[in-house]
Amino acid sequence: MRNRTLIPSFQRPPSRVMIRRAANYEQELGTLIFESLGEFALPVKDKVILLKPNLVGLDPLGVMNTHPAVIAATRESFLRLGASQVLIGDGPAMDRDTEAILESVRLREFVGPLARIFVDLNIDEVKRVPLATKASRLKELYMPKTVLGADLVVSMPKLKTHHWAGVTLSLKNMFGTVPGSCYGWPKNILHWAGIDNAILDINAAVKPDFAVVDGIVGMEGNGPIQGTSKPCGVLIFGDDPVAVDATCCRIMGLLPERIKYLASAGTMLGHINADKIQQVGENIAAVRSKFAVVKEFSALSEAA
Amino acid sequence: MDIVPAEEPARVIAELNPDNSFAENVCAPLLRDAQNSDGGWGFHPGANSRVEPTCWALKALMSLSSPDNFDGNAIRLGCSFLIAAQLADGSWPSTSEEKTGCWVTSLACWVLEGESEGEKKYSKAIALGLNWVCGDWPRDSGWWQRLLRRLSSAKQHAKHNDSARGWGWTPGTSSWVEPTAFALLALESHQRLEHPSAQKRRKLGELLLYDRMCPGGGWNCGNPEVYGVAGEPLVIPTTWALLALRKYPERPENIQSLAWLEKNFTKIQGPASYALARLCLAAYDSRPNMDGASSADLHAKNEFLRSITVAAWMILAASNPQNWLAPGSTVEH
Repeated sequence: MRNRTLIPSFQRPPSRVMIRRAANYEQELGTLIFESLGEFALPVKDKVILLKPNLVGLDPLGVMNTHPAVIAATRESFLRLGASQVLIGDGPAMDRDTEAILESVRLREFVGPLARIFVDLNIDEVKRVPLATKASRLKELYMPKTVLGADLVVSMPKLKTHHWAGVTLSLKNMFGTVPGSCYGWPKNILHWAGIDNAILDINAAVKPDFAVVDGIVGMEGNGPIQGTSKPCGVLIFGDDPVAVDATCCRIMGLLPERIKYLASAGTMLGHINADKIQQVGENIAAVRSKFAVVKEFSALSEAA
Repeated sequence: MDIVPAEEPARVIAELNPDNSFAENVCAPLLRDAQNSDGGWGFHPGANSRVEPTCWALKALMSLSSPDNFDGNAIRLGCSFLIAAQLADGSWPSTSEEKTGCWVTSLACWVLEGESEGEKKYSKAIALGLNWVCGDWPRDSGWWQRLLRRLSSAKQHAKHNDSARGWGWTPGTSSWVEPTAFALLALESHQRLEHPSAQKRRKLGELLLYDRMCPGGGWNCGNPEVYGVAGEPLVIPTTWALLALRKYPERPENIQSLAWLEKNFTKIQGPASYALARLCLAAYDSRPNMDGASSADLHAKNEFLRSITVAAWMILAASNPQNWLAPGSTVEH
């Protein structure tokens, strides 16, 4: 059973975030990801791992969803590290034809038939979870048993801006664990509860253990669906998803402390202060690539 | 309508349409085997019973009109599960632990009405359910929210007609295309049990669907435009909206949206979209070029992700729409 005790950020040791360059999806990603995961000495032997990519819609051009090459290489790496089972699961928010999304991103071509590998979290078995943080108006959520039962949950977002939340990275990605069968397509109750606060509640309930961010090609502008493709050439890894997201923001030329949910997450879920994040691999300045945002979020940009 | 000799239904159906054979020989047995002892179905074989997959499984079994395939006992047990799952306020929850009803209430009313004995046996449950549906107003278009929006200096993300009001997925949220379509289908199928506000709600719901149509036809979940950018239609919301609005086949929006669905049919990659597009096109008596993937081909890829709902939709797609779409509206003929 995973330990979901929340540790206030001031009691946490510094976090480590690794940035690795990856020029494109055609290059051999398996070794790079295997070595990067190995650096974190994760307790995965004989464990069940759930990879939670960001699959938001039909995406034949590979612009909006976590790329299947990254998902497949991560899955293979966890199996090589000794995991007994590596499942892939998501609950797309806008379209209930999850299999159409999977086919459009060609996930089956990368990992094989999906019937026993992929879990549609929208229609998984659910369990009631009281929300201890009470950041939003929600008192409880029904959450997928696959998420709650996994030994290690890995958030695998794409590096994207978001027209309502500012950015969508490993924390916002956990919206996809909330089941559409209970809350609909989209999961509108989360918007009414307040997106920023709902992100906090969901992450406090699920507590993703690790993050792998696909920043090889990201999305800028009117994300998460209608934005513009943004090649960035990086993969970001870390066992503190808050620190990973803060680092991603800095790579995108955005100020993490100005992103409401991230600033709050920095007090109770992880670190956003740069002096509490040990940067491994490439340094941020070397890979920084300024992402455009919708004008409602212009204050997030470092130059603002 | 194709007439199938009773002695060899599977073979003849297969010759007529391989999708029909697949529905009959693969999907229907899958549903029968997956029924739980409490009468309901889960989203996957072996999963706990939930209201939504039970509704679709029942609709599918009811649509199998051949006497050889009549599943009377399974249907009765399934309906009993639904009756037991109803909450005291008349609504149905998505999962048995929940104490608040939601959008599946429309589905449950629609399905119970379609049961051959539904008119007398389940009339009280259906009336209670529809009463809840009629009283479930979306929060976004209430006077308070409209006033707040008018006073707000923030630019609206999306342009919506505030006077259009449909239904949300959960109480106290916004109107969306699919729950609005389901509510309209439920209300339409049960016109004899008239709720005082049913007619008004139907009109407002239809208004909402037309308001939320994407530029160029078709629907997505309900955002035809965000930040000035046109939303892309999706197959599933388009099919449910078209089915809920099928009494207006001559309206330009219907024609445009049907044309979008016909044009995009061969590009469909997911089995859920494939099944629902087929059944919607059949309901509009549209026969576009359906060459390409078949339900068996789609199943061979990922076994529909073992979804009971998709298997049920495949059966409905292979059925005559008159068998299941709006039985309440044809009973009196």
